[in-house]
Amino acid sequence: MAEHAVGGAPFAAYHQPVRPEWLDYNGHLNDASYSLVLSAAHELVLESLGLSADYRASHRASMFTVETHLRYLAEVSAGQVLTAATTLVEADRKRLRLHSELYADGRLAATGECLYLHVDTVAGRSASLPDDRWARVEAMLGAHAELPRPPHLGLGVGSRP
Amino acid sequence: MTEPTPGRVTTPYEGRAAVWDETAAIEAPLRLHRTTAPAEWMDYNDHMSESCFLLAFGDSADAFFRFLGIDEAYRAAGHSLYTSQTHLHHRQEVTLGEPLALTVQLLDHDRRRLHIHHEMRHGETGVLIAEAEQLLVHVDTAEGRSVDLPAELLRRLDAIAAAHRELPRPDVVGRAMGIRRPPH
Repeated sequence: MAEHAVGGAPFAAYHQPVRPEWLDYNGHLNDASYSLVLSAAHELVLESLGLSADYRASHRASMFTVETHLRYLAEVSAGQVLTAATTLVEADRKRLRLHSELYADGRLAATGECLYLHVDTVAGRSASLPDDRWARVEAMLGAHAELPRPPHLGLGVGSRP
Repeated sequence: MTEPTPGRVTTPYEGRAAVWDETAAIEAPLRLHRTTAPAEWMDYNDHMSESCFLLAFGDSADAFFRFLGIDEAYRAAGHSLYTSQTHLHHRQEVTLGEPLALTVQLLDHDRRRLHIHHEMRHGETGVLIAEAEQLLVHVDTAEGRSVDLPAELLRRLDAIAAAHRELPRPDVVGRAMGIRRPPH
């Protein structure tokens, strides 16, 4: 095991009951709320890599979301509990790609894939991760290397695995 | 109309009945939604939160649904369009009070699916801020399964498709996500 905790493989720290303000006219989780949940689940992963809000303040750098691909698989209602299982799919010195399965009461409700870019917020351009953060990323890559990759990973909208 | 549940997600077009004007020219792309980034969409950094991009695209999609003919009455009769996939591409950050102009382009459709592309541009400079590609499916909401669109809506979709035929296909359409590395 690496020196830094990698939060399990897949990373599964997110646990959140559905909030009423996330629902739409139908009483179902709104499209945008899936993205809110995905962001929050991924924020926990970034936190464990030392790349969350504290890092932004201390290093004047941050992970920016470049792309998000959501696949909606089931409706989610009030009272359900949301959890996530996240894989660090790939990374280089400037970029991370995460894939999550989002579950409602244990049933798969959506998948979400995000590409993040490490940005120097002062210079306003992409920058390489510092060595200590890259070491954490590499540790997580190692811990996630053997996880199965879902067949839809990296497919465009409309493509079928 | 039923009273909205306090605190839930709403769109600015709720309750506005769909009206299809047979004689009106169809814009290419459709420009159905403009807004100004409100304080509640800002994160601790004073930039628009990620999920609020989807709220804005969702409002534009709702305006598009109403343009097409899908409003509260249509949904109350048991059918709706559900989002099957969304692929968002971020280009620029959005700050408080920024004017936003959104467009919708119909890329493709069949009897029960719509493939659309959204753009979000700065309302004054026209700078591209974000894009979203979506796949929508027409469903029987009670049965929870996909069903064909009614003939009238298919006819309208054909008319929109004809108006959008000459639009260039946005380069992000169908693109896979990944870390692109320079060739060795």
